[in-house]
Amino acid sequence: MANFDAENGAGGAILVVGGGIAGVSCAIEAAEAGCPVILVEKSAYLGGHVAGFHRYFPKLCPPPCGLEIDFKRVQNNPRVAVYTLAELESISGTPGHYEATIRIAPRHVTGACTLCGACAQVCPVEIPDPFNCGMSRTKAIRLAHRMAFPAQYFIERGACASGCDLCMHACRYKAIDLEQKETKKVLHVASAVFATGWAPYDAAKIDNLGFGKYPNVITNVMLERMVSVDGPTGGKILRPSDGAAPRSIAFVQCAGSRDQNHLPYCSGVCCTASLKQATYLRDRYPEAKISLFYIDLRTPGRLEDFAARTIAANGVELIKGKVGKVVEQADSRDLEVTAEDVLDGKKMTRLYDLVVLAVGMVPQTGSLPAGMSLDDFGFAASSGPGLYAAGCVKRPAEVAVSIRDATGMALKAMQNVASRANHG
Amino acid sequence: MADALMVQPDHAFIREVIRDSGGELKKCFQCATCSSVCAHSTEVRPFPRKQMLEAQWGMGNRLLGDPAIWLCHDCGDCTARCPRGARPSAVMDAIRLAVIKRIAFPRFMGSVASNLGGAVLLFIFSALLLLSIAVLPLGGSFARPLIYGEMFPKARLEPMFYVVGVYVAMALLVGMMRLVRALRATGVQGAILPALLPALIEITLHRRFASCGSGQIRRWGHLLVFSAFLGLAVMGTAVGVGSMLGLIDTPLPMLHPLKVFANLCALVLAVGAAILVWVRWADQEKRAGSSFGDWYFLVLLGGVGFTGILTEAVRMGQNLDWMFTIYFIHLCLVLTLFLSTPYSKFAHFLYRTIAMAAAWQESQSPARGQAVAGGPDVALPEGPGLPHVI
Repeated sequence: MANFDAENGAGGAILVVGGGIAGVSCAIEAAEAGCPVILVEKSAYLGGHVAGFHRYFPKLCPPPCGLEIDFKRVQNNPRVAVYTLAELESISGTPGHYEATIRIAPRHVTGACTLCGACAQVCPVEIPDPFNCGMSRTKAIRLAHRMAFPAQYFIERGACASGCDLCMHACRYKAIDLEQKETKKVLHVASAVFATGWAPYDAAKIDNLGFGKYPNVITNVMLERMVSVDGPTGGKILRPSDGAAPRSIAFVQCAGSRDQNHLPYCSGVCCTASLKQATYLRDRYPEAKISLFYIDLRTPGRLEDFAARTIAANGVELIKGKVGKVVEQADSRDLEVTAEDVLDGKKMTRLYDLVVLAVGMVPQTGSLPAGMSLDDFGFAASSGPGLYAAGCVKRPAEVAVSIRDATGMALKAMQNVASRANHG
Repeated sequence: MADALMVQPDHAFIREVIRDSGGELKKCFQCATCSSVCAHSTEVRPFPRKQMLEAQWGMGNRLLGDPAIWLCHDCGDCTARCPRGARPSAVMDAIRLAVIKRIAFPRFMGSVASNLGGAVLLFIFSALLLLSIAVLPLGGSFARPLIYGEMFPKARLEPMFYVVGVYVAMALLVGMMRLVRALRATGVQGAILPALLPALIEITLHRRFASCGSGQIRRWGHLLVFSAFLGLAVMGTAVGVGSMLGLIDTPLPMLHPLKVFANLCALVLAVGAAILVWVRWADQEKRAGSSFGDWYFLVLLGGVGFTGILTEAVRMGQNLDWMFTIYFIHLCLVLTLFLSTPYSKFAHFLYRTIAMAAAWQESQSPARGQAVAGGPDVALPEGPGLPHVI
């Protein structure tokens, strides 16, 4: 989709690293203001975590709707070049004059792909689907997800059986090229924005909460996939152990957050996200018992109203007290959840069918340039001149805040382009 | 807020607890992880979350009568899980030391065992007392073979220890009465006498240590020290009374059953104390949260056991200087141990027992550790109600 010559361009372009909601927003805002943009994304599709979400808060509308609009804008704008399966290898230079090298992994599927799916049908390799947090199986050759953009299959070559070329023979459109090699490109850009995003905290590290040991302990990110119609359960929220409908659900807030043994900071979105997820459960299970264990309910600003409304309308029981222990009952695989209710000073152990850990955000700083410093919590601290961070790599944020930040960073990056034009 | 609470912070108490617990008390943000990971904290009396708040607010009087501070066995599970590094187990430990100080009789003795100056003074006092009563004027015999009982005349040494013993017992009795009064004042109503036996059985078997999550080695360390100390106390009293009545002639021969038993106890005591010192030393969090009072307790205990063994060893050598000096140091340490019993961590053997007995009834409630499904007071939207109670 490189609609302009990024490699040998005039150098007045912006490099955006990371194609999640922040990166896409930054790229399209700059491009629509007339600035050439090169967007580099390491996975096979744009949209990042947001592509896997079921609803935004507080409006509770579906993310694919907004993403679709953004993708259309990207597609129609000749000033955006998108590289997927691509990573930044190095960047050096000064504001207005950077040289960046990107490494593009082979997709093995060309633009001739029509999404017919014949290749995936014959593919003999089944692997856990990363898009569904491993809750379902997928093939080595696949479309990352139903809404994937670019709408083009790719092969996870590392998963292929040695010597297998079944997909190539199954493809009527000759869109499969198993011989593709990794390529490198050297880009000349005026500035770069790093929107490398976040990853959910590895809940298995919180060994007292049972994730990874007990199948009915899941994370908030997994629940988000479960409830999506294209998710592993076709939109149903079911207990992983037996596929039963949960009759009681506990949300465990601050699972690994505000904790010096894990993430010392508050991610700021998980409380509202859990309340949002409580609405999913209430919609499907009008009679289920929903409890939310918290330290402090942090739903700042206008989200306070969303929280109050959601709690009242969905019968969410709030228990002030962090969960210290989750133990599985051997036969039923129900979960004993232990906490102290700080407000009445009594300790309780309750049984739940399903436990949802509200895990926080870990900034993905691996591809930040060496000069960009990190704050005490490991988020990108410095911004500019020339190199900027945007979105959740800079601070944990909800989608709307990330978009606003990315838009602002588009402006900062464009200032470098402008000053280059003015001063050479 | 029908019953508003007026907090009058006891600043000295706050400072003391902060100092003795490693300085992180005020980091606690009341998430209650500690109470939920603690194996001993019960449904009706969860701890140490509440105690952390009360310590932050300087509610010394309330903590004075709180049995929960004695139900804690300082295993450190809460400290390991604390998201803020506030060291709840060290805080509970510091609260216990502060309480021991506050119920001390006579009051001015309260702080002798909680700082180096006080401890040194107490040791010097013990040495002077021994010198003035058992050594000077020189009345002992240094005829060969050298016999401790003749170097330090028994006729003066033993009555001195009886007087000290009566004093210590009295101080502990008054402290105990003050503790019971404080427990009652905070509404702990359990009858103590009938619960003493089950509490003692639990203490003897070290059941609570067994259910603590971390540090099984600590259970063994404590069990060794506890048994050896008990053995030596019974032995020492028996031999003392026996020799006073002329029934036993000391020193006992090496193969005398009582001698063998006593030697075994001394060895076990030294090993147990070494284990406990090592546990505290090896565990970074525990070491950082250890106060002078914690080390004083362990070092004195180990010192008594160690010098006791040494005393016996040098008797074999029959060197006048060494025998005299080492036995004298041993006696000084024993006397210091006696005199500081009501004011140091030693007192926990009595106060913990009393508090465990007072709270026995409630800690045995059937609700303990039982998981209950759902809850009675959940607001649900209009509908057919909870269909299923798990």
